[in-house]
Amino acid sequence: METTPWESELTERLRRVFGEQILEFASYLGQNFLVARPEAVVPILQYLRDEVGFDYLVDVTAVDYPEREERFDLIYIVYSFSRNERIRIKTRIREGFEPQTATVVHPTANWLEREVYDMFGIRFAQHPDMRRILLPDDWEGHPLRKDYNILDMDNRWVKDNLGIESGQ
Amino acid sequence: MRKLLRTIFLVDLIQGLWVTFRNQHPKNIYTEQYPAQRPRIAERFRGAPRLNINPETGETLCIACDLCALACPENLIVVSSERNKQTRRKELTTFTYDTSRCMFCGLCEDACPVDALELTQDFELASYTREGAIWDRQMLEEGPKPTWYRY
Amino acid sequence: MPEATFLDANELILNMGPQHPSTHGVLRVILKLDGEKILGTECVIGYLHRGVEKIGENRTYAMFAPYVDRMDYVAAVSNGLGYCLAVEKLLNVEAPPRAQAVRVILTELNRIASHLLWLGTHALDIGAITPLFYVMREREEILNIFEAYCGARLTTHAFRIGGLQYEVYEGMEKQVKAFCKMFLPRVDEYEELLTENRIWKDRLVGVGVLTAEQCKQYGVTGPMLRAAGVKWDIRKAQPYSGYEKYDFEIPTRTNGDTYDRYIVRIQEMRQSVRMIEQAVDDIPEGPIMAKVGKVIKPPVGEAYVSIEAPKGELGYFIVSDGSTQPYRVRVRPPSFVNLQALDTMARGGLVADIVAIIGTIDIVLGEIDR
Ligand code: SF4
Ligand code: SF4
Repeated sequence: METTPWESELTERLRRVFGEQILEFASYLGQNFLVARPEAVVPILQYLRDEVGFDYLVDVTAVDYPEREERFDLIYIVYSFSRNERIRIKTRIREGFEPQTATVVHPTANWLEREVYDMFGIRFAQHPDMRRILLPDDWEGHPLRKDYNILDMDNRWVKDNLGIESGQ
Repeated sequence: MRKLLRTIFLVDLIQGLWVTFRNQHPKNIYTEQYPAQRPRIAERFRGAPRLNINPETGETLCIACDLCALACPENLIVVSSERNKQTRRKELTTFTYDTSRCMFCGLCEDACPVDALELTQDFELASYTREGAIWDRQMLEEGPKPTWYRY
Repeated sequence: MPEATFLDANELILNMGPQHPSTHGVLRVILKLDGEKILGTECVIGYLHRGVEKIGENRTYAMFAPYVDRMDYVAAVSNGLGYCLAVEKLLNVEAPPRAQAVRVILTELNRIASHLLWLGTHALDIGAITPLFYVMREREEILNIFEAYCGARLTTHAFRIGGLQYEVYEGMEKQVKAFCKMFLPRVDEYEELLTENRIWKDRLVGVGVLTAEQCKQYGVTGPMLRAAGVKWDIRKAQPYSGYEKYDFEIPTRTNGDTYDRYIVRIQEMRQSVRMIEQAVDDIPEGPIMAKVGKVIKPPVGEAYVSIEAPKGELGYFIVSDGSTQPYRVRVRPPSFVNLQALDTMARGGLVADIVAIIGTIDIVLGEIDR
């Protein structure tokens, strides 16, 4: 990805407050994002909401890169109504790492993080309700991981609950 | 006072009922009597597939290039061909199309370089068995033959 | 202390759905009740999960486009527009002006169709059956336009990456104009039926209130946010597909209750008509497809593009690894996020209101479960 550096009054402020915690400020196709250490994400969200006015958490999602050591990219998209600006906060986490939940800052993160857990198996620490959301509770596997084949499904679950052999 | 009168004489409800009443006129009937009356289907409608043949010679237009099968997101088209020894051209042998999995997106139709595959205006695709939904070359060329509804 | 009797057990768990006519699909809501009062709700979703995001990783960019229509199947055109814009962003191309104008016309028609269906079913839930028949009649006209334009009525697959596949058919302008002319009096008619109707008002005013603050906390967008008084619409805030050329207003209300959302959506339909009339009057001449190769292969990168779908902010986050298939497609569905606010809206209300509240969110389960 050929990014260009992102410099503005906002990045200055963030750099002053978070310093080393933010690894990179960049911009791609006119969309700004920053890469931060996993522990710093929730404080950054908090700071952005309270001090800068990014009061709407648009989305929380993840991307799986199985060959990387820090396997997952966790992505938060925030928007500010007053500034009409949208930025992404990215962080890299290893398998098994439990990032802090963002529900304390934005209640909307509740379901979005549950979906990330459901699809990628990333558990969020201190989340009020860390259960699967779309798949059944006793489903095995996390479908959006890259090693989960598109034809895979939890055959045991299908057999137990639906009484049929799965068609795959 | 006005409000009270309006409440007593149910003005708001009568207003609403008047709308219903206005729409009672027979010229406002909109329902189609489907099997009796055939619906009007737009020209571009993406319905039952058809494999076009040359009307004069009866030969298929398909050149067995396999592009439609590659374009289909559901991978439901299977084209097989044989190379003709004399003319050294590929000739279509079988063509199967699984309508039960088709979502009529039209990508195969767009991909066909010779307009051999076409989605037509036929929309009655029901069949009695699952196998009946898998169309072979003959069916694709001649079109579906639904049992007409008698009433 | 006497022993507790069953009379003391005043907390009742009631299951609603998944097969319930007023949940608009397969939504299951578990209600915790104290008599008639709702103490809490819990949504169980996922009955319609088809793994659209996973399918996207296994299809090429062009092949995935028909699948997005099947998420929010009442507003398939909007879904397709969002997806096409996202891939175009990655490719760094823009659809030509003619394509943009046609896109605006069709998406706005689709917005009307979606709001109409919402109005009909919502009114049906509340007990007004008549509007359902009327809105279906008008929606039919819109679907006829879709059918004539692209050959399908519901899952349209109307747009392609880079522009349009189909040229405007002959007589489209006339048909769209005729629709606009016919439609505005019909909106007045719905209003005559409902707006001042006392049963309608009694059931809706003050029900399911969500303040602007709560809306932002829960990420609620679309008409629900505007009904709470936030004048925010992506078509104005970050215009896409040439929306900046058209003159329209963002209807807002202040109370943020179910009645206000009804008014906002009705007004929005009028604004859409206004936009369509402007757009159809001058569809620029020119090509309908930008220069994109036969094989769509965006460079390595990622982009988030969102549009104002009828239900709120619909976003696509696409990661490309430089191949013909997306590495990751994330859909940010508006209904999914909006449904999360159900608990806040319903808590403390009455059981009878839950139907009105579910209706007012305007959910489509195909989009929530994906
Ligand atoms: S219409 Fe779409 S799904 Fe059906 S065969 Fe053609 S490409 Fe495949
Ligand atoms: S794309 Fe057309 S010519 Fe090629 S195999 Fe398919 S139907 Fe035949």
